[in-house]
Amino acid sequence: MLWAALVSFIIVTVTFVLLSFAPNPSIQEAATQAALQGGDPAAAAERERELRGLNEPLHIRYMDFLQSVYTLDWGWSQYRSQPVTEAVYEGLYYTAQYSVPWTILTLVLGPLVGLYSAANMYSWKDHAATGFAFFGYAIPNFFFAIILLLVFAVWLEWIPVVYNANAAVFSLENVRQLILPVFVLVTGSIGGIMRVSRNESAEFQNSEFMKTARAKGVSPIRAYLYHVLRPTMVPLSTTIVGQLLALFLGSSLLVEIVFGIPGLGRITYEALVAQDTNLVLGTTLFFTFIAVVGNLLEDIVFTVLDPRISYDDR
Amino acid sequence: MATENQDRFDRVDWDEIAASRGRDLSVNTLGMLAFAVPLALLGLYDWRLVDEREATFGAIGYDIDITSLEYLFVFTLLLFAFYLVLPLYQNPRRTKHYWTEFKRNRPAVVSLVWLAIVFVGGLIGPLLMNAPQQDILISHQPPVYLSVDQANVANCVGEIANGRCHGTWEYPLGTTNGGRDVLTGIVYGMTTTMQIAFIATTIVAVVGISVGTVSAYAGGWVDEVLMRITDVVLSFPTFLMFLLILYIYGAGIGMFILVFSGFAWGGTARYVRSKALSISEEEYIKACRISGANTYGVVRRHVVPNTASSIITQLTLLIPGFLLFEAQLAFLGIGDTEVPTWGQLISAGRSDLAFAPWIVLAPGIVLFLTILAFNFLGDALLDALNPEAQAETDQ
Repeated sequence: MLWAALVSFIIVTVTFVLLSFAPNPSIQEAATQAALQGGDPAAAAERERELRGLNEPLHIRYMDFLQSVYTLDWGWSQYRSQPVTEAVYEGLYYTAQYSVPWTILTLVLGPLVGLYSAANMYSWKDHAATGFAFFGYAIPNFFFAIILLLVFAVWLEWIPVVYNANAAVFSLENVRQLILPVFVLVTGSIGGIMRVSRNESAEFQNSEFMKTARAKGVSPIRAYLYHVLRPTMVPLSTTIVGQLLALFLGSSLLVEIVFGIPGLGRITYEALVAQDTNLVLGTTLFFTFIAVVGNLLEDIVFTVLDPRISYDDR
Repeated sequence: MATENQDRFDRVDWDEIAASRGRDLSVNTLGMLAFAVPLALLGLYDWRLVDEREATFGAIGYDIDITSLEYLFVFTLLLFAFYLVLPLYQNPRRTKHYWTEFKRNRPAVVSLVWLAIVFVGGLIGPLLMNAPQQDILISHQPPVYLSVDQANVANCVGEIANGRCHGTWEYPLGTTNGGRDVLTGIVYGMTTTMQIAFIATTIVAVVGISVGTVSAYAGGWVDEVLMRITDVVLSFPTFLMFLLILYIYGAGIGMFILVFSGFAWGGTARYVRSKALSISEEEYIKACRISGANTYGVVRRHVVPNTASSIITQLTLLIPGFLLFEAQLAFLGIGDTEVPTWGQLISAGRSDLAFAPWIVLAPGIVLFLTILAFNFLGDALLDALNPEAQAETDQ
């Protein structure tokens, strides 16, 4: 817990350092404005600096920055004409609509496919599953999304090309327009999880306790689900969160842009293009906190699943 | 050292070893120095004496300019040649053993061939082909053997039959909407891909090994601090930080490589540290110590070679991630626009996807195959170089 807080603190500090050493676009803008209107650019820049509190000494600005970050006072987004927190919240509404089904599907399917693959090791079923995992792992998500959109939306016209932001969350229309993004993300994330769970459960299914269970006449389904899957989940949980997060942070941005979903990733991208510093900061900080919390959850899940591991010494 | 055949214990010339004081440089180091020193001098000359807008070889009449990224690239290539390829040649018996292990994995051999094509194409392709030029007159040419409705092509270079424009060998993979040749774009993208792969792996390996060994041998608070830094690096959201840096300062491909490799060495450092700690308890290390080996000698001769196989595997599996991130940034249009990459080609073709899918498909498939090849290669190396891991998977 302390560690997560410390990491988030370090990241916020790095962000501040990065920001404070860079020329602020709004100052340049003010200077350009003044020059265009025949005024004195230097004076305008100075006025803008004063207005934004940039004349204060560094440590005071740092304290201000820390305070506003942790009290969720993230400023005003000029590009969207609304507070940054509100923009993040609105984006989250769309991002969650595909992230939740995607996470659940990956968490359920990944270990199960791996288990199935391990149970049928070196058969054609195993090879097919492994091949599928490698395919999903290696194909760039945005490229795959473009191809699927071309085939299913443009050529076959099974799904709409343009995302309708007003569709109700639990409607058939929403399911139809979210099925491709979810599919792309699940194929991307399932591969790594499937491979780890295959290798780990292969180790456990020949173990002594499985032989005992079989000898006692435990049904195969129960044996696999209860005796193999559970120890497999321990090493698996270390990779799951990390992989999901990496994908969430990187690919959701791309997938949202390709499919035109007005979620968090798209907001980040538009803020980058529109030079809206507050919004860029807000969304990146939000993603960062998700990453930190994810890592924390991973540690907690680890100790719950395997009581032998303790983090007391940290 | 001074023996011809290191691989056979009974052929070691012990007199020669006793006579050498261990101070003379090996062939590898000599070769490395022979090439690296002129390179460094050239770099210095380029940096201090040549005007920034002038080409490096402008003074002697060649219009070839070398960027700082290319200096780094050549340097890492030299490193790989003298410390990875040359040792393999020097130890033919071990190389043969690796090769027989490696050959059993057929997808990996195919992957290696593919990566060799990308490597050679990236090295000499730009020397043979001119950089892709904008030419609006030849936009949207279809690839050879394929045809496209004439209405979509303003100016068909190939023959027109039944109202369809056919591709020509002049543009084997077609052209983009700006009339750039897709094949040339892909070959130029190979160079960038190889630069990212080689430079990033070198940085990750150097930082990871240094931090790992220093942490293991220094112990105490140095170890504690270094490992906590490693923890932070491991849980750092690099992609987002890079977006921030890109937004605030703007960043080229060099910055990209620096930031991503600067936050990727965590796993390597952790692994090297644990390996160094476990090795230092082994009997043969104690024997080395007693016979007077210093810490540097132990690290150089025993710790690094012992960790090499795992590090190589880890690095092979890291590269696809770098390539993917680069392609994503280029696709978003916020990557380095100065260097030609596959991601740029993909994003260039997106708007014309419905009637000119080759612009997206060709670089996309090349990128997909390259990432797949690196993954297969990493898996095969894991089996070939690391007998323990293999024993585990065979169970």
